Order: sequence, then C-alpha cells, then structure tokens
Amino acid sequence: MVETGHFALILAFALSLVQSLVPLYGAYKGDTRLMAVGGPVTVTGFALIALSFAALTMAYVQSDFSVANVWENSHSLQPLIYKFTGTWGNHEGSMLLWVLILSFFGALVAAFGSNLPATLRANVLAVQGWIGTAFLLFILITSNPFARLVPAPIEGKDLNPILQDIGLAVHPPLLYLGYVGFSVCFSFAVAALIEGRIDAAWARWVRPWTLAAWVFLTGGIAMGSYWAYYELGWGGFWFWDPVENASFMPWLAGTALLHSAIVMEKRSALKIWTLLLAILTFSLSLLGTFLVRSGVLTSVHSFASDPSRGVFILCILTLFIGGSLALFAFRASQLAAGGIFHPISREGALVLNNLFLTTATATVLIGTLYPLVVEALFGDKISVGEPFFNLTFGPLMIPLLVVVPFGPLLAWKRGDVFAVAQRLMFAFGAALLAVLVTYLFIDGASVFAALGAGLSAWLVLGALTDLALKAGIGNVAPRMALRRFVGLPRSVFGTAIAHLGLGLTLLGIVGVLSFEKEAILVMKPGQVVEISDYRLRFDGLTPVRGPNFTEDQGHFSLLGINGQPSDVIMSSKRFYPVRQMPTTEAGIKTMWLSQLYISLGDEAGDGSVVVRVWWKPLVTLIWGGSLVMMLGGFVSLLDRRLRVGAPARRKSAAKPAAVTP
Amino acid sequence: MTRKQKRLSVIAGALAFLGAATALTFYALGQKASYFYMPADLQTATLQPGQRIRLGGLVENGSILRGQGTQVEFGVTDSEKTVKVRYTGILPDLFREGQGVITEGSFGPDGEFIADSVLAKHDENYMPKEVADSLKAKGVWQETTQ
Amino acid sequence: MLFWIIAAVLTLGASLAVLLPLTRQTRARDDASHDLEVYRDQLGEVDRDAARGLIAAADAEQARAEIARRIIRLDAENAREPKKASQLGPRLVGMIAVLAVPLLSWGVYTAIGSPTVPSQPLSARLSQKPADSSVDELIARAEAHLVANPSDGRGWDVLAPVYLRIGRANDAVTAYRNAIRILGSTTARQAGLGEAIAAAAGGIVTSDARLAFEAALKLEPADAKARYFLALALAQEGKISDAAAAWRLLAASLPADSPWRAATEQAIAQAEVRTAPVKEAAGAPAPSQDDIDAAASMSSGDRTAMIEGMVATLDEKLRQNPRDPEGWVRLVRSYQVLGKTDLAQDALGRAYAALGRDSEDGRKLTELAGSLGLDVTE
Repeated sequence: MVETGHFALILAFALSLVQSLVPLYGAYKGDTRLMAVGGPVTVTGFALIALSFAALTMAYVQSDFSVANVWENSHSLQPLIYKFTGTWGNHEGSMLLWVLILSFFGALVAAFGSNLPATLRANVLAVQGWIGTAFLLFILITSNPFARLVPAPIEGKDLNPILQDIGLAVHPPLLYLGYVGFSVCFSFAVAALIEGRIDAAWARWVRPWTLAAWVFLTGGIAMGSYWAYYELGWGGFWFWDPVENASFMPWLAGTALLHSAIVMEKRSALKIWTLLLAILTFSLSLLGTFLVRSGVLTSVHSFASDPSRGVFILCILTLFIGGSLALFAFRASQLAAGGIFHPISREGALVLNNLFLTTATATVLIGTLYPLVVEALFGDKISVGEPFFNLTFGPLMIPLLVVVPFGPLLAWKRGDVFAVAQRLMFAFGAALLAVLVTYLFIDGASVFAALGAGLSAWLVLGALTDLALKAGIGNVAPRMALRRFVGLPRSVFGTAIAHLGLGLTLLGIVGVLSFEKEAILVMKPGQVVEISDYRLRFDGLTPVRGPNFTEDQGHFSLLGINGQPSDVIMSSKRFYPVRQMPTTEAGIKTMWLSQLYISLGDEAGDGSVVVRVWWKPLVTLIWGGSLVMMLGGFVSLLDRRLRVGAPARRKSAAKPAAVTP
Repeated sequence: MTRKQKRLSVIAGALAFLGAATALTFYALGQKASYFYMPADLQTATLQPGQRIRLGGLVENGSILRGQGTQVEFGVTDSEKTVKVRYTGILPDLFREGQGVITEGSFGPDGEFIADSVLAKHDENYMPKEVADSLKAKGVWQETTQ
Repeated sequence: MLFWIIAAVLTLGASLAVLLPLTRQTRARDDASHDLEVYRDQLGEVDRDAARGLIAAADAEQARAEIARRIIRLDAENAREPKKASQLGPRLVGMIAVLAVPLLSWGVYTAIGSPTVPSQPLSARLSQKPADSSVDELIARAEAHLVANPSDGRGWDVLAPVYLRIGRANDAVTAYRNAIRILGSTTARQAGLGEAIAAAAGGIVTSDARLAFEAALKLEPADAKARYFLALALAQEGKISDAAAAWRLLAASLPADSPWRAATEQAIAQAEVRTAPVKEAAGAPAPSQDDIDAAASMSSGDRTAMIEGMVATLDEKLRQNPRDPEGWVRLVRSYQVLGKTDLAQDALGRAYAALGRDSEDGRKLTELAGSLGLDVTE
C-alpha cells in the first residue's frame, strides 16, 4: 500500500508535466484535441495524489514505522485521532496535503469549466500544472514522505506534543485551502496574460474562487490564532510572529482582491489592477509557504530545516513570482482598460479599500522581511515585533474601518457622500453613545478603549443600516419591506454579515486589550485568588497518566457568592516522555463572551505552584467575529450569480443581434 | 475642475498617502525594531538607557534563583560573558539550565537586564535559531551529528 | 506481485487519460459566444434587480446601456483571425505525451522507490508468529500488552530480566519494581532489581541497589547474586580485602555448577591483584602471573560481560556524542571500577578534549578522577 502511494505520486508527477505543457501548446497551436487533454489529465492527477495521500494516512493510522516519515512523527500509543492528523503535522505530509488541495482545485476547474472558452481553460489548467509540477518535484526530490526504513524500527519518535491537539487537525487544511485557492485566481490571471485578453468570464470566475479561498483562509488564521491562544499557554491571540504574518499577508491581499473583483465583475473596471492583485495574492501565499517551510524562521512550524529545501522553494518562488510579474509587465499594456468612474462612488470606495489593504500588506511584508534582509546585508540580528506593527498597521486600519460602512451604501459610478452620511446618522449616533457609555460607566476605560468600542459599534450598526436601507425599512410598508428584505441578493447579505463580523472581532480585540486582568502568584492548595469579580480556589495537583504522556492536573474551584464552589476548572502541565517535552494545557472557562484562563507554571516543593490567571473579557468575539466573517463569505458564495462557472449555454447564443437592445 | 485636474488630484492624494505610509514604516522600523545581542556583544554595543533589546544565550548552569513569588533571576551566558536577567512571570515550558533562551527587555539602572518576555522556542535541538547561529559562530556549540 | 499489477493498472489509467482526448474529435466553440452568455446573464440580473426595486430605473437603464456597449465591442473583437491548426506538430506532441507518462513514472520509480519493502503495519508485525519476530518485536508486543493491562505482574516479571539482558536497564528497574509491587517481594525479584539499578548506574552498586540486595538476602540469606553484588559494593567503596573475604565465603558455599562460580572466582582474583602489595607486606605469597592468567581465562562470567558490554556501549555513545558530561563521569568511573585504569585514563583525556579541561564539567571530572586515583596532571 505504501509503495502504491509512492508510485501514484510519481505517476501524478508525470501527468502534471503533461498537464503543464500539452494544453498550453494546444492553445498556442489552436489544436482542440491537445487542449482537451488538460481536463482528464488534471482529474486523473488529482485521483492519483488522493490515492497517495490515502496511502500515507493509512501508514500513519497503522503505525507503519517502515515509513521514515511515520517513524519520525508518530508513536503507537498516540490516540488514533492524532495518528491521523499527524499525517500533515510534519513537513513532508503537509507538503503532500498542499499538492492534494492544489490538484483538487485543478480538478474542480476541469470539471466545472466546460463552459469556459477552450483556450482559456487549457491555459488555466496548464498554469495549475506548472505549480503542481514544481511542488511535486520539490516533494520527490527534497521531502519524500514515502522514504522507507529497513529494518523497520519498532517504535516511533512521537508527534511534537504541542501539535497533538484538535486545533491542528483543522488549522493546516483550512489554511492550505485558502492559500491554494488563490492559485486558481493566479492561474486565470496568468492565462489571461498569455492570451493577451481578459474574457468576461474571467471576472465571473475570479470572484467565487477568491471568496472561497478567502473564507477558508479566514478560518485557517482564526483557528491558528485560537490554537496558539490555548495551547501555548501564553494567553495571547496574536503575536505578530513571522509565521502568523506569512498567513496574514495573503489574507490582506486576498481581501483587497475580493473587493476589486467586485468592481471588475460589476463595472468591468480595474481589470488590470485585479489581475495584478491576483498574482500578488498567490505570490504572497507562496512566500508564506517559503517562509514557513524553508526554516528561515524559527517557530513551531519549521519542522525541520534542510538548506536544500530552502533553496528549492526559493527557486520555485523566484520562478513563479518573477515569471508572472515579468509576464504582467510585458503584457499588461495590451489589455483593454475598463470603465471609468468618479472618485466618489462605490468603485471609488473599493479602490480606497484596496489602497489601504495593499499598503497594510506592504507594511506587514516589510516588517516580516526586514530582519531577514538586515541579517543578510549587515549580519545584525534584529527582531520586529508588536511595537512596530502597532505603530504602522494600526494607523492604516483605523481610517479604513471608519469608512467601511460608507462603501456598500454609495451608488456605482457616481455617489453622494453627504446623502450616505445622512443615512448613517443613526449608526453614528449610536456609536457615539457607545463611546460615551464605555468611557463613563466602565471602570478603567481609557479613551482608546472607548473609541475602539465606538468603532466596533459603528461597524456593526453600519452593516445593519445597509441591510435596513436596502430593504427599505421605514420607507415602505412593513410587509413590503419584509418581502424586499427576503428578496435581497445573497451577496448583499454576505457583505453586511462580513462587515458585521469585522466589527465583532474588533470589539473582542478592544475588550481584551483594554479590560484584561491578570494575576501571577504562587498558590498553595486551598488558597483563593480574586480576579475581576471572580474568586478562584486552588484545590491542588493530581498526577494523571494519559496514553502517551503524564500530567499534573491542577484543580481550581470557581467560588460562588456564598463561598461554595460553583464550577471546576482544570489546568495541567503535561510531559511527553518520548520527546522529553513538557507542554501546558491551559484551563479555560468560557462565561458568555468572556473567558477565565488559567495556566500553570513551575511547582514549588511544598505542593504550591506558580499560577497565572487571566480574565479575558469578550475574548471569544475575536474568533466568533471571524466565524461571522466566514459566514458572510459563505452566504455571498451562495449568490446565484456567483455560482462557479460561466452561465448556462443557450441555444440562441449564436445570434447576438437578438439581444442587443 | 476639469476631469484631468480631478484625476491628477486623486493620484496626488494616493501618492501622498503612500509616501506618508512609507515614511511611517521606516520611522517605525528605526524606533521599534529591537536588536539581538549575545552577552559578549554588549561590551561593544552602544545602548541608550531603557532601549529594548533581545538578549540571547544559554541559561547558565546553577544560576536560576527563585525569589519572592513569581520573580526569578538567572544568568544568560555565551560562555564568554554572563548577564544577570530578572523576570517576573511564568517561564516557558522548555526553560531549563543549559538551554538556549531569548529574553526581551531592557537594562535596569543596576545593570541587571529586566526581561518582560522569555522565549525558549525551539527547533528539534531545543535551540533558538539566533542563539544557535551565534554560538556556532563562536565555536561554543556544535550540532550533534546524527 | 500485487503491487506491480496495481502499478500497471494505474499507469494504464493515467496513459488513457492522455490518450483518449487525443483520439476524440472536438469542435471548438467561438470564444465570443462565452462572453456573450456572460453579458446576457448580466442583463437579466439588471432586469431582476430593477424589478425588485434594488436599483433605480435610471440606473438600470444606464447599466443596460453599458452592457450593450460591451456586447458591441465584443462583436468588433470577434473579427479576430482564427488560428489554423497545423497537423504534424500536435500529433508529435500528443504521441510524446502519451509515451512520457509510463516511461517517466516507471523510470523515476525504479530510481527512488522501494518495491521490495512491504507495508508493515504495527499490529500485523505484533501478531505474527513469535518464532518469526525479532526480540525487539516480542518486547514491543509484551509492552503493548502491559500498557493495556498494567496490573499484570507476571508480564512485568517476564519482561524485567529481558530488559536487563538487552541493556535497557532503566526499563528493567521499572519492570522489577512493578513486579514487586503487584506480585510481592521475592529473592529473585529483589536481587534482579538490585542488579538492574546497578546496571543503570553504569555498574556502580548504589545505595538503592544495596537496599534491594539486602532485601533479597533477608528472604534468602544464601542468594548468590545478592551476595556477589554486595561484595562488589564493598570493593567499590575501596574495602577490597573485605570484599575479597566476602567473595571467598561465597565461593566456598557455591555449588560447583553454580553460574556465579566463575564470576566470583574472577572477582577474587582481581581483588587479590589489587591488594597484592598489602599481602606481600603481610608475607602472603603474591599470585603468580599464571594465576592471574588463569583467572582471566576462566571465562569472564555472564554478569561481568554484561556490565562490560554496557560500558562499551556508553563508550561508543560518547564517541558519537561527546557533549555529555554525566556520561563521561560514568564512563571514567566505570573503567576505574572495572580495574581498567589505562582505559579510564584514556576516557578522561577524551572527556577533557570534548568538554574543555577548565570548564565547569571539566573541573568536576578532575575532582572525580583525583578521588579515583587517576593521573590528573596535564
């Protein structure tokens, strides 16, 4: 079975080579048969890679330690779920997952793209083939997950304990679905450059793919953030760690792409810009893969650093980013520019959005790469952390968030800011009220906290106002308004929901940053600590034996008003003997939107232990808001007009005169 | 305003915005980037009082002193020089004697390094990359050959 | 065999995926018709939005006009020359593509694959016939069983001596302790525990080990293993003559076929060598060179061989990974205890080279070496 997987992977590599060259040549020569090869080859390649991935997963589940990759990252005593997720909890396996998702998307294009113009489809599949070939070659040469060990060891080296977590089961696949989803937009962009013309269908395709990729990427980042929050035991939700930035940059650029694609689809404007953004977004995804995989950065993600891998990925990176940008520079002038619009208009608002988002992407990029550049040039080691990003990213985001509610309310082509401002009076008033209430009635609220709360309220209410106005609530009879509300296009709902989610996430961030309370102390059993309005009693440590670890569980009782325990929270320190590694399992108690977070430190001799307790108000909104954003993207994706693929073929299509008004 | 003037003013606005963002970014890089030092590098470094730096090295054997409550002191060494570090809080899981650490903070008036964060991030050799590179450069530490 | 069949089927499928489209005649559709469909759909969309009252009538009219303009532009673009397909190039490319798939995949697989290595799921390896399994696999099976039934004392009892024999002394200690906890204390288990602790400490009979041996003797005062090791403990403390006396007592009481006889006699011989000057002074005859040779040739007993084996393993480990101060301490001490002063001296030199003589670890080593009577001058 293992060798079948290995063979299938090699066969898939051969097919992807065919996929990268034959349809391209066919499109160039106008040979329909060669172009038609792209579809079946892509689908078969996907089936083979899926087989290969299944074989590796099987090896993990069955603890087949004759596979070097399994031996290095698994253990027979690991719970089944972590044997399973261990498949992608390591460099080789995660690269295979990357390629699996890439080929899956390629297969989707092949399967649903039958209505695309033949040359466009052939070129898109060929570009997908290039990416697939490069990464399959990378896997086969530098990181083959199917390398064997003879004789097979009897026991594995265990999966890195901090990756033995359910968060990891979800985080990489979601993130990769996002990263790789942008590859489709990239392929369409490059195909358009190769052909030298932008089809109307391109606009239709790029938006759903961007949306889908964006939804997954949002989920992946939120999941990663939550995982770091509870698994690392530091209680932080975002560290501006280079690896986090690596996933955040494609998200920012992808968000910009999402918005410019709207302009392109609706108004046929910003075509070239959108094309460039599509290339940049996927380039940033590749850069993210490079930063994380090459071992240039230190983090839990750099499973193993092997210089040859770094060089290989750098080559892929240069080839794709450099090549596509060169093609862009060469061809962009030949592409027909789109429609024109007034600066004050929906298009104008979306351009403003793009300006801010791409600039923000650039600051994050600079902050992330600057240490690498300085080290390469001067040999100085520096680190760029939170203070830098607070100073640069923050000022860029705040004005953007302020103008968000205006965008959806402006008319296309030529808008009226004052009319929109009038319509937003209610939301503005309510936001102002939120500022005052926060400042005056909540203890310890700073001006920053109050303004942050106000901005959150502004975003949430602005989104709701948009829906209310579009449904005509207040202007027409309630029944009519309801009918119109139900009849609103899904994409309108999607926009409002996503903007609302943004407001919620912001509220969560403001809540934690401004009102978080923290206590670090040495606690003896029976001792009580007060934090915010809660009283927490430490009941002692008990040693417990898990399947492949031992742990000291610290038990805490949440005391009610009468001093009786009303709830129990458990936080523990684990030790994984195979890797000789300790981990912290934070004890988290969710109360409505807020959380009590307990993490254990070192044990003193007499049964007392260092305890760190946080009260994190509204913290769940950070990820809850992200979920709402994802929901918004998903609802938008359900819009009939956004369904993947060009519209259905019609018999009368051959007679254009019939529809020209 | 003619259409051309309008377009020019929009472009000028965008360029001004980008210029401001660029200026801010580089100002922030100058102000907020923290340099990484090993204890022996500090002799030659010129530090402003209170300047934030990252100090990396190995936790000196036998140097960990637990004080009142959660305060802890330890020495960070690169085998040439040792710097005393004071930290209040929970040490990371992988913090042990002889392991590589990175601490971030600034020097106090008494010459002790007051850290507000201690990282013991690790690759498979339990060694932060910066620390490993510097120690290798000094020939103190070799990767185990396996 | 099955693998090759599957591989052949996969290759065939993949080649067909390339071949079939090449044999089928497809007619190209005009590119413009796709764009037209998109625009028609957009027109319909505008109509629906207008009907629902989402956009004003004037806006709708404007949008329709814009789409119409695009359709007109489309007609103009449509006049592009369709490319004429030439015949030879594409045929050749198609043929190369079809051939490339099997050739490339089989070629690469032959180079990097391992077709002869079967899959080896752990459960299958653990359930094969015991005779076919390696010792490691048998142990793994027993371990898996004990993880599921940690209170099976008999299992621990069986596993403990096996661990000891293959050099996993720490696991042997755990296994003996578990067996004693569950099944109760016996002479054999206590003595085994002591031996395991000593083995884990690199051959040193530590105080823990001594406690275990004493417990064994309490149950069976004549137990040879316990007596042997307790005497060894005396020797390690430097009380060579006491040790020799204890060994002589032991040797006298051992039956002729006892496995301990050889080891004991060798120990006596070694002890006599080390105490020789003292004995000379006391007028006792020094053992002749022949005696020593005889003692040496008396087959180094099981236990001594085992300890020596472990010391050799440690030595080897330190050659590969010299940055292990504790390992060096153990190695130097072990060699000296085994009476191999020159090897101990050599190990000390290597330890200095690896750790640095003036490092803290180096100084610790110097201290130790001094106490063991090794030469520590530079």
